[in-house]
Amino acid sequence: MSSPERNYWNPFVETLPREKLGRIQIKNFRKIFSYAGAHAALYKEKHQGIDSEDIKTFEDIRRIPIIDKGDLRRAQAGKEPFPFGELLAVTGEEVAVFRQTSGTTGTPVYVPESWESWQWRVEVWCHILWMAGFRETDRVFIPFGYNVYVAFWEGHYAAEKLGCTVIPGGALDTRGRINKIREVRATALLNTPTYGLHLAETARSLGLSPEEMGVKRMLCAGEPLPDATRKRLEESWGAEVYDHIGGTEPCAWAAMCEERAGLHIMEPFFLVEILDMDTMSREVDEGELGIAVVTPLGRRSFPLIRFNTNDVVRKGTGNCACGRTSLMIEGVAGRADDLRKIRGVLFTPVSVEEVLRAEFPEITEYEITVQKKGIMDEISLKAEPREEMGESDMKELVNRISDRLKIKTNLRFVVMPVKPGTLRRYTLKSKRFKDLREMQGGAAS
Amino acid sequence: MIGTNGELLRQMKTRIEGIEDLVRELKTLGEGIPVVEKNARCILGFTHALRFGISDVAEVNTEGGEESWEK
Repeated sequence: MSSPERNYWNPFVETLPREKLGRIQIKNFRKIFSYAGAHAALYKEKHQGIDSEDIKTFEDIRRIPIIDKGDLRRAQAGKEPFPFGELLAVTGEEVAVFRQTSGTTGTPVYVPESWESWQWRVEVWCHILWMAGFRETDRVFIPFGYNVYVAFWEGHYAAEKLGCTVIPGGALDTRGRINKIREVRATALLNTPTYGLHLAETARSLGLSPEEMGVKRMLCAGEPLPDATRKRLEESWGAEVYDHIGGTEPCAWAAMCEERAGLHIMEPFFLVEILDMDTMSREVDEGELGIAVVTPLGRRSFPLIRFNTNDVVRKGTGNCACGRTSLMIEGVAGRADDLRKIRGVLFTPVSVEEVLRAEFPEITEYEITVQKKGIMDEISLKAEPREEMGESDMKELVNRISDRLKIKTNLRFVVMPVKPGTLRRYTLKSKRFKDLREMQGGAAS
Repeated sequence: MIGTNGELLRQMKTRIEGIEDLVRELKTLGEGIPVVEKNARCILGFTHALRFGISDVAEVNTEGGEESWEK
């Protein structure tokens, strides 16, 4: 196959005209809808009175009920068959893979996959890794013990399927992982953005230059990746850094190509609707923010029909220079459940990360806390500098951060410097935002 | 553009269906023999991915009938 086609994992799908992509999506939506209704108890009730034969257009699909994480939890809590409950759509004997959500926002959701459905997820990840330039020649180091969390397992299996050499990095501390990267001459990493920064910071503390360690590319998972953080990672490692978006329940459903200018929706594996945040009934226009509602179209063991991801994304404009025809999103603005009203102002923690990573290279770690002070909300930021700073330098830095955050968020932050090495470094999902108002008896909306 | 290469897609779709039919036959022949049953199941997992990537595109190009997953 000639070289332009080798840029694509699947040139047939990736360059298919949008009208044909849409026809495949509707056909496969009808199939999974019909299958889910016949095999998963949750949908027998939810979809009562809707005949799959009547689903002929995207407009028809928008009339089908949306489900959310609460529905999944209710379908599993105390329900048989244990532990997957009314979501399981294959026999228990067919379940080959057990994964679960992290439980960051409540009870974990247990995700069963049959071998077939697991291979479908791995195939989606093959697309993602190929788009990010992973090839047979890469040695991929994954610096985690994956436990029951799905993304790194998917990346691991997909990288193996591509023909990469995969080195799992569990049961090592951060220094051990840095040594391993050097020992095996890893060319690619798969990690959370936070841990990618921490690895680089630790390497520097050991007198090493991460940008000279031979890592050429990095795919980030597990956390939002604002462009400023992505660029900081690229500078730190001298590598191309790629983002993707997804979750344990739906799988990864959008990812960056070599252009690194927005994310491609993984069509036609998924039907992704980007709906207006007020009514969740209208597909937003290009350039507009909306909530992603996702239907994976090829997984039978754990079918999700119109799953509200709570991811707030901006619908992309125009086609990508890479030649792929899939719909683009410009990026992830945050999660709907992370949006908070503070002193009447709508706030998302990602906005702070964007400012700190883009404009304050001297800050390595931070933590945001919102709490009630009397009747007022107070938002504070603990900021940890890379190294000890003199009092006047620190005061000047605090003032600059405070001013920039005021402009960016419309909120006055109490900025508190802390000593280097004070704040927690996270391996998996970071928890840099704490809203204490509910615990204090106030309304956190 | 390669995406319009209908004949190639059609031929690959036919081969994918052929593999699936053969593997199902093998599975039936080897019923009760774990090495056959389990490996056949794994092969069908891989052809499921090929159906999404190849057969679906071939079908939409020729507007063939929809096949059920329930085989």
